[in-house]
Amino acid sequence: MPKKQKIVTGAYIAFAALFAVAPVSNAMHIMEGYLPTGYCVAWGVICLPFLIAGFTSLKNKVKENRKNLTLIAMSGAFIFVISSLKIPSVTGSCSHMTGTGLGAILFGPAAVSVLGIIVLIFQAVLLAHGGLTTLGANTFSMAVAGPLVTFCVYKLCRTAKADRRVSVFLAAFLGDIFTYCVTSIQLALAYPSEAGGVAASAVKFLGVFAPTQLPLAVIEGILTVVIVIGLETYARPELRSIGFLSDRKEA
Amino acid sequence: MLLIDRLSCQSKLRYINASVKLMYAVLTLALCVLSRSAAVAALVFAVNGILTAGKGGIPLSLYIKLLTVPLAFLIAGTAAVTINISGEPLDAFAVPVGEWYITGSSAGICQAFRLCATALGAVTCLYFLSLNTVMTDILAACRKLHMPPLLLELTLLIYRFIFVLLKTGTAIMTSQQSRLGNRDFRTRVRSFGLMGSSLFILAVKRSNALYDAMEARCYDGSLKVLSREYPARRRQFAFVILFELFLGGVWFWCG
Repeated sequence: MPKKQKIVTGAYIAFAALFAVAPVSNAMHIMEGYLPTGYCVAWGVICLPFLIAGFTSLKNKVKENRKNLTLIAMSGAFIFVISSLKIPSVTGSCSHMTGTGLGAILFGPAAVSVLGIIVLIFQAVLLAHGGLTTLGANTFSMAVAGPLVTFCVYKLCRTAKADRRVSVFLAAFLGDIFTYCVTSIQLALAYPSEAGGVAASAVKFLGVFAPTQLPLAVIEGILTVVIVIGLETYARPELRSIGFLSDRKEA
Repeated sequence: MLLIDRLSCQSKLRYINASVKLMYAVLTLALCVLSRSAAVAALVFAVNGILTAGKGGIPLSLYIKLLTVPLAFLIAGTAAVTINISGEPLDAFAVPVGEWYITGSSAGICQAFRLCATALGAVTCLYFLSLNTVMTDILAACRKLHMPPLLLELTLLIYRFIFVLLKTGTAIMTSQQSRLGNRDFRTRVRSFGLMGSSLFILAVKRSNALYDAMEARCYDGSLKVLSREYPARRRQFAFVILFELFLGGVWFWCG
């Protein structure tokens, strides 16, 4: 018995240590080739209405004012760069933000769905985070579901007259957590557990990714707050140009 | 700046027609994922390794280093697929913990092995494309597939801006570090936030400047970029088709 316990403890320590030495512990991108074909296609199809809605809204924005094209493109690049720069982490491993939460607060969920898929393509091709076959699933979790939650929470907190910082933190934090839950469920649907089916499998995936994702969500929330505060202090005209401050009288 | 992008410019396969490379990568990827067979995956892994590191001249050490990027996800995900916590032990292994068992079945292990092989094979397909093809060539190939022009324009602009912003962001971070901006966790968080907000300001400023520059050069709502053509050779097409047929055969016979 003690020997077996030793094995279990050893295995767990090895598993935990893995996250300290792994080259990148990233926001949850499902790896290339990890989902069966049916699921790849299905998630892509689910994303389609959101992408079309986002695309139409972008098209209208560009038609309205041609200047918006460069602004939208810059916003997309901003999301990519924010998500590819190393953020301060507690464990010392190299981790990154999703960036889509900040994007959803600043640019709205419709724009982020299209920008998100472009950013995800770049992350797959330039950074090897995620992949082409899993693009649909990743888009749904990171560019559709997460930003939608972020945006709804943010609007809800604002209408409830919550403190701006608190609402930004909650929005980014919950959006990140939701992304992580959706990804776990996506994996669980594709790989149901032999003992307990999809639900048990979802718990397993949630558990396995918890050590990296929970601290990351907190840090992402804090960083989003700090960035938004910085923007409100120094970048009022720029925020107005993207329509972030237009609804406020004092701005 | 970005390792993969830099390597793709150095690759010896860079000037091969992008459509051919795109077709090869996508078809191989599709076959690899559709078949989910270890034999196909192993073959794809080997051939892509030879093509990228051998023919493409990408340094082997860097190629191996890049292959370890998705490793953390692979190991964690595969652990979740194989290991079960259940009241009853399964056939392959079972470690009792209190009343429960940490257990797994041999079918599960078999599945996990196939999954790892497929995922690694698929990753090499992605690397073949991204390490041997410059992003602008991929976009030009997509243009031939009649993707929405607005989307492609946006992608092209974002691709360009990524490097501009990344350079600015890295420079800001370097100067923050040289001024003790990463002294402790609090300062680090604050520095990152400041970097993010000033990056945003610079991004908006640059996008305005770029718009002015484009307007001064008769921008009428669409970007037109000349791209050089590298005609596809018949031999390359034949190689791609033969290889895909061969892969299909391996899938059919080895399962």
